[in-house]
Amino acid sequence: MPVRSMKSRRIMALLALTSIILITLDLQGSSATRALRSTFGTIFRPIESVTRVVTRPASNAWYGITHYNDVTAENELLREKIAQQEGAAVAAAASVRLSQELLALNGLPTLAGINSVSAQVIGDSPSNFVQSVEIDQGTESGIKVGMPVLNAAGLVGKITQVFANRAVVMLITDPQYALSVKIINTPKPTTTTLPLQDPATAVTVVSVPETIDPQVTIPPVAVTSNIAGFTPGSIVAPRTPIISSSLTIPPGSNVSVRETGVLEGRGAGRVPTVRFIDTAQRFGVVQAGSPIVTAGGSLSLAPPDIVVGTVSRVRERLGTAGPLLEIDIVADLSNLSFVRILLYQPITERTAP
Amino acid sequence: MLVSLLLLGLQTTVLNDMRPFEVMLPLMLLFAVAAGTIYGSEVGAISGLIIGVMYDMVLSTPLGLASLVFGATAFVAGMLPYFIREPTWWTRALTIGVVGALGELAFPIAQSMVGFSGQLQPRVIVVIGLVAVAGTLGAPLLLLVCRWTLKETLVG
Repeated sequence: MPVRSMKSRRIMALLALTSIILITLDLQGSSATRALRSTFGTIFRPIESVTRVVTRPASNAWYGITHYNDVTAENELLREKIAQQEGAAVAAAASVRLSQELLALNGLPTLAGINSVSAQVIGDSPSNFVQSVEIDQGTESGIKVGMPVLNAAGLVGKITQVFANRAVVMLITDPQYALSVKIINTPKPTTTTLPLQDPATAVTVVSVPETIDPQVTIPPVAVTSNIAGFTPGSIVAPRTPIISSSLTIPPGSNVSVRETGVLEGRGAGRVPTVRFIDTAQRFGVVQAGSPIVTAGGSLSLAPPDIVVGTVSRVRERLGTAGPLLEIDIVADLSNLSFVRILLYQPITERTAP
Repeated sequence: MLVSLLLLGLQTTVLNDMRPFEVMLPLMLLFAVAAGTIYGSEVGAISGLIIGVMYDMVLSTPLGLASLVFGATAFVAGMLPYFIREPTWWTRALTIGVVGALGELAFPIAQSMVGFSGQLQPRVIVVIGLVAVAGTLGAPLLLLVCRWTLKETLVG
């Protein structure tokens, strides 16, 4: 059937060309492809809803067979954790409130000042190679592309596609996800030897990490005296000799040191990593268990101080590359049910008017 | 089209939830491959391109990417008669399993070509292995549905 074969080939070539054009348009962010997806979604949602209802018994049976033991063990563990956390939650809430009040008092931005929308996770990504979930809120609730998504534990991801009443959230484990974060490293306290000084001119000293050599020489400095009765001029202060008596820095004055890096997802089954850490002397050696929060900034995908996770492992690298940190995410991305979308849009995701 | 919509509904609901070893079985891809093994490369490619576009609508990858992958995979599956003159049902089943697995492997490769890198990981081996097994075992049902769906539109 040569005529029919030619017709089939023409149709095949036309469809292939259409696919290539669609790929090109979508990669350039065309509104036509978004409209096409939205229209298809409107047509497909009723079919999907009916299918979900019909197949729910099969899905529940599957979960019951494969996850029963895990669910019971997790239930017992969670009961125990809830009991432990009840007391800590009260103290933490008081601290957070105090922190927000202090920030607001000083005119600094806080998470409490950002509106949010709650949503329910209604589905995972129907693909083995994309880490995303779908939620039941969209543009009608004020959600836009780029907005950060959290759950009760911490950061979950960001909005990558949004429709009228649903949206797609890219999880932080997706290889396409990257975010500037801060690692809060608390350096170990140390004792510093200082020369004796006049109490009237004593200065406050902050403890330094162990990596810094405490042997410091003090060069002569020029000091201007403004005491009444003396001719104004410069007086060279004598070089102060180092005396053997020492000052022990009292506990509690150790200030947490923060260093920024970039968090990158590495796909399903692999923990995200943080790199571009500058191991400055002040920052010191990264400690396992150090908390990681979002860095914020005008170009960041999320506002500052959203909990992301903790450092689980530090992998040193040769040269000036700096350490590579593997992190434990606080949010359980495999069991997402309810999430919160911060109505915060970074400058990089805002569309031109 | 209606059958494809139903298959897409199954793909996004029950198959999305039921993931053996955290792997989702690509029913849409396997259906396109089944069409190719029965009716040849051209019909398979056309089916794959259309089914792929519908699948693209529910993904966050570029629109048209799955369409090209499915079309190419189904085209390859349609070349079965070039290797086996009169394929039996179990040769078709094996073809669906193997070619389906190759198609699932082609998807992250195609993603990398358009700039979505990072998906080619050791886990892909588990994915394609399970897809091959699932495709081979589910092939008899897929072939049945495919014949029933496409026989009205094809003459001779």
